[in-house]
Amino acid sequence: MKKIAIYTVILALCGGTLYAVSAADKAVEPAPAAAPKEPVVCFESRKGASDINQQEIKPGLPNVKCSPTTGAALWYGDPYHGTVPMGKMPQMDIPEGKAVVVPRSEKLALMPMCGTACHNGVGPQFNPPTLPKSRKPAPVPTMEAMVPDLKDLQHGRGRIWCMDCHHTTQRNKLVDHYGDPVSFDQPQLLCGKCHGDKLRDWRDGIHGKRIGEFTSTGKKRWFTCTECHNPHNVQDGARNRGFVQLQPEPSPQLPKGMKDAKHELLHPIAH
Amino acid sequence: MTPNETPPACPAQEQQAECLVPPASADPAASAPKTTRRDFLKAGGTLSLSSLMGAGALMAQSDDAHAAAEWAEHFQKNYRLMTDAEKAEARVRLERRYSQEYGKPVTVDTTGPQPGVLMGYALNIRKCIGCRRCVHACVEENNQSRGKRPGEKIEWIQVLRMERGKFEQGKMDHGYPEGLGIQVGGNAYTPAGQVLEGQYHYNPEKVPEQDATYMPIACMQCEKPPCVKVCPVRTTYREADGPVVIDYNWCIGCRMCMGACPYWARRINLTNPVLPKEEMNPVTHYLGNRPRMRGVVEKCHWCLQRTRHDRYPACVEVCPVGARKFGNLLDPESEVSKILERKNVFRLKAELNTFPKFFYFYD
Repeated sequence: MKKIAIYTVILALCGGTLYAVSAADKAVEPAPAAAPKEPVVCFESRKGASDINQQEIKPGLPNVKCSPTTGAALWYGDPYHGTVPMGKMPQMDIPEGKAVVVPRSEKLALMPMCGTACHNGVGPQFNPPTLPKSRKPAPVPTMEAMVPDLKDLQHGRGRIWCMDCHHTTQRNKLVDHYGDPVSFDQPQLLCGKCHGDKLRDWRDGIHGKRIGEFTSTGKKRWFTCTECHNPHNVQDGARNRGFVQLQPEPSPQLPKGMKDAKHELLHPIAH
Repeated sequence: MTPNETPPACPAQEQQAECLVPPASADPAASAPKTTRRDFLKAGGTLSLSSLMGAGALMAQSDDAHAAAEWAEHFQKNYRLMTDAEKAEARVRLERRYSQEYGKPVTVDTTGPQPGVLMGYALNIRKCIGCRRCVHACVEENNQSRGKRPGEKIEWIQVLRMERGKFEQGKMDHGYPEGLGIQVGGNAYTPAGQVLEGQYHYNPEKVPEQDATYMPIACMQCEKPPCVKVCPVRTTYREADGPVVIDYNWCIGCRMCMGACPYWARRINLTNPVLPKEEMNPVTHYLGNRPRMRGVVEKCHWCLQRTRHDRYPACVEVCPVGARKFGNLLDPESEVSKILERKNVFRLKAELNTFPKFFYFYD
């Protein structure tokens, strides 16, 4: 009985191998075109708003490595990948090319539409023009449908409105103190209007983030305000910091023989 | 020489080699006695040594870079006592060995401290959201073991979750000892504020949580490091530009330093490190992230392979909230110097007089 069983197993194995070989032959014949690999996209600080495409900059060296668990950027092969010069900033004397930023305009999904479709100020729907004449808040159902955070804008606790930050007529620009347009790539010129202390710290490298060379004269990629903070959603009951909540990376390995980490929840002092 | 004999004094320069007076300079390479380990072995047993060296020469000629490197490492001096030529030799040997082992060109940097640099670190404890990205960036960069079995997964940074305690009306009658009313301690025994009594294995769906603060801890690169004081083979020491480093080849795995460190910063390779070829970072430093062996202690070294070439450490670069700052403490324009000048700064366990160069601050 046993012998029969063994022969059966051997037969089955042979059959399996044969099938696998034939299957491999079949697979080779049609020569499937090497499917272009799905680009790996990971995010830097804000999920969905600071995405970065993984590329190979040298053989075996990616521009960024991503976390398999959360999709967060974990390691920079080239800190200056995809950067452009930051441009002249008031009160910042950094030699040309030593301060670079990654432009954000191209990452903003609504950006190309804003200035062309509805808010160019000359379309037929603006005849008579419906652009706001004052900076008094008025509900705009279309915008609220597109950006849900606007329904109850917490930034400024109801004291500020869209037009305090966005330019009235050039809708794909921000606005500075004098009503002049500010690029979406330089939001610090806008945010510093109110958050002057933060701007000062950011200029000195105390607030915010830079990557690249750490020496004070080295080349750095600067992260601008909106790369880390979402200005439309600054307050949220479930957290206590100026950042949206993220999924954390996996926790460390448990010590040998330990099934869970419930001991950490017990306090040595009863209370 | 018997133990009763006093060591001879040092009358002349040429007799320096026999002098046993401890070196005056702190730099052992500059003033160490010239009697090397090799000389001692030669004098001790010329016959056995010559046969060993013969075998070594034969093995060193073999194509197996691993075997040759293993053999040469047995006769290698402590890194601080190695001459530049010996360092270069060790570097070539290691590069050959690692390249063969990991199937890609691996560099082993031996760049020393740069003049005018004293590295310092600052962490904004109010910004940290506890996402543990620094922990995993460190693993990507520094070639730690990342296996699944116990002891095979090593992380240098720990993020401590601490709950915000509170005082409550309902506990006014509670006290310590428990159940006897207020005798020794009262309601204030409830942990309130930040106490160093936290959770490392927290795993909520989203961070930051409202009732928690987070405190990342790694090697503080102390100016008076207790781990260096206890090391019996003097393999761990403070480099001139600040970081406390380990010459892995001379580590005997006694774990004295792990016991001495008040910041729980050191890890030991209890097993053979598990480091897949494709995940290995080929840019390494001799005192930094080169692959370690079983039975040696390792810890954060502020990414020497990066910082010796002016690049930020890996944890600084990935922090999504910009809580981590790194810079040159001797440069008044550096980020860390400005933080020390302007912010409220504290050192962890400052009462131990270890003088860390890792500062916590808050806005």
